[in-house]
Amino acid sequence: MNNEFAIVWAHKDRLLFGLANTVGLVVIATALSLVVGALMATALASQSRAVRRPAQWLVDGMRCVPFLLLAYIVYYGLPTVGIRLNNWTAGLTALVIYHSSYIGEILRGAWSNLPRGYIDAAHAVGFHGQVLYRRIILPPIVYAAVPVLGNQVIQIIKDTAFLMIIAVPELTHAASSIQATYYVPFAAFVAAVALYWILCRGVEMVVGVIERRAEARR
Amino acid sequence: MTPYAYFSLLQGAGVTVALSLLGIVIGVPLGLGLALVRWARIPVLTQVIAAYVSVLRATPLVTLVLLIFFALPSIGIPIDPIPAAILTLALNTSAFNCEIWRAALIDFPKTQLEAAQATGMTSSLAFRRIVFPQIWRTSLPSLVNEMTLLVKVSPAIAVIGVVDITRAAVRIGAETYEPLPPFLAATVLYFVILLVLVRVQRSLESSTARKFGSA
Amino acid sequence: MTDRSDAIVAEESTDVSKQPVLEVVNLCKSFADHQVLDGVGVSVAKGKAVCILGPSGSGKSTLLRCVNWLEKPDHGSIFLSGQRVGVRPGGAIPMSASELAQIRARIGMVFQHFNLWPHLSVLGNIIEAPIHVKRRPRDEVIAEAEQLLDKVGLRDKRDAYPARLSGGQRQRVAIARALAMRPELLLFDEATSALDPELVGEVLAVMEDLAREGMTMVVVTHEMGFARDAADEIVFLDHGRVVETAQPEQFFDRPQTERARQFLQRFEREWRPK
Repeated sequence: MNNEFAIVWAHKDRLLFGLANTVGLVVIATALSLVVGALMATALASQSRAVRRPAQWLVDGMRCVPFLLLAYIVYYGLPTVGIRLNNWTAGLTALVIYHSSYIGEILRGAWSNLPRGYIDAAHAVGFHGQVLYRRIILPPIVYAAVPVLGNQVIQIIKDTAFLMIIAVPELTHAASSIQATYYVPFAAFVAAVALYWILCRGVEMVVGVIERRAEARR
Repeated sequence: MTPYAYFSLLQGAGVTVALSLLGIVIGVPLGLGLALVRWARIPVLTQVIAAYVSVLRATPLVTLVLLIFFALPSIGIPIDPIPAAILTLALNTSAFNCEIWRAALIDFPKTQLEAAQATGMTSSLAFRRIVFPQIWRTSLPSLVNEMTLLVKVSPAIAVIGVVDITRAAVRIGAETYEPLPPFLAATVLYFVILLVLVRVQRSLESSTARKFGSA
Repeated sequence: MTDRSDAIVAEESTDVSKQPVLEVVNLCKSFADHQVLDGVGVSVAKGKAVCILGPSGSGKSTLLRCVNWLEKPDHGSIFLSGQRVGVRPGGAIPMSASELAQIRARIGMVFQHFNLWPHLSVLGNIIEAPIHVKRRPRDEVIAEAEQLLDKVGLRDKRDAYPARLSGGQRQRVAIARALAMRPELLLFDEATSALDPELVGEVLAVMEDLAREGMTMVVVTHEMGFARDAADEIVFLDHGRVVETAQPEQFFDRPQTERARQFLQRFEREWRPK
């Protein structure tokens, strides 16, 4: 057993390369999903049915589809309609489509909890449209939603592992290739699990820090 | 898609439903057991379970299923793909269920428990007759939500060769060079499974509300 | 508190007919730094109704909750018909969970907030403990439960669920539930304090009937009229100490201590006979 861990340690750069890919995917996917999600929230909260309905269908649709299936559809299915993406980009795209829907719904929920008076006051001073959204609405709802958003980031971390199936060289893929080459399954995957745990704990701690700062401001 | 393709997908659906169900049937009571140990604050075990829950909730299902399928044989426990898949699903959902049950136990009104104790009920009798009949009903939405999440991550088992809906769809797509139709059919199948789950939950909720009223 | 004096007290009570149903000796209890009970002693003979009165924070509820070990006292002892509660004879080893449950089955408690079980019907609430704790046959228990429902005036609510009942009705169900266990001692912890004023009367009426019929009970209450009319003895508690013990007429008309006098002045309107 110790021997196994020694072998994994000897090839730790492969594991760390996988970890770097995972972290990269997570960071970019989170950033993009937040942006797209913020846009989706406006659509979901829209008064116009023509805008709101399709957005709701998208969110409900993403809630009914396994992420891996979506990744397959983006990677293998899109080429049949002419859009050919490499596996990394396909994976990222699937992550963003999937999670921006969830984040959009989360933000919409937080938005509906904003006290009416708060928005009225902004209107009274002349805020409207995009600026109103960006400067008055988004900040408090993002703060309010931080714990839930934190959970969503953890989901993103875990969903990146599915991408190993389409050969994206992230952490689980790296662990798998080490174990296939050197026959060290226990050590390789335990190491991967430990790294995932550290990533998720990191997210939880960041959420904790942000929550405490939000409390202090109140 | 050929009739054979449809049949293949339905077979895959059977596998997805069966294995998810087994995972749920094992994982939900297991989660309850773990939650009860933590609620009773049994020393040592409580910390061990807390660590178990923390790790399992942070581990992607793909990684877990690979760990179980490849690592168990290497420490002397041979295991086939299907049992490995069931074990993985069960362990994963047990960790999330532990948190759901724990929340219900913590929220349970202490006053009802006191009334039970005052009548001379032991803890286990009080749990069986007073606590559990109520907390399974209040936890139902969270429990069913977790079941839907389990179904949605179940395609991970395809990576160790189990032919569920997703793997069946991929295979058909690879053979016919037309991947979209089977993928869309697969989407429909998952949608139906999830819809059934949600419907069952809604009908259980409304029958509960009708019977006991809202206090 | 030494164990020897506990043993002496227990030995004195071998004559069953003279044995008090409840004997509390030198009870002490603190929460954090706050001393809630400071050497409280109470004795309740069979068939007597004892009312515990006192200002808020005097420790009345805590005293009651120590009797059936819902709170663990720091010092002192409690005897139910001569048997030590909470601790095995000898005083050193706490009772096991099942021993404690057995003692509690002999004591009935009615709580301020009723604490009915919402997932069971009225009948279900009443028959639950006799069937599952005492293992009595179901038919027998149901028959007795229906008689109890008659007694508290709620026969027609037999199959209703607690959510649909008023506060007064719920409390009467709670009393029936406690009675169904045929307890040696019945404890009332501010049973009417959470009720709307119009509903207090119906519950007090049931409690008065019980006292008249000879139920051994300890009642913590603010209802001075009830204390004057239905109690056999008043125990006045203040700051965790028994300040005065007397018959109701004596307590209300000629209180011996200054603190009792001050307390009674506040409630004069309620208990002064008209």
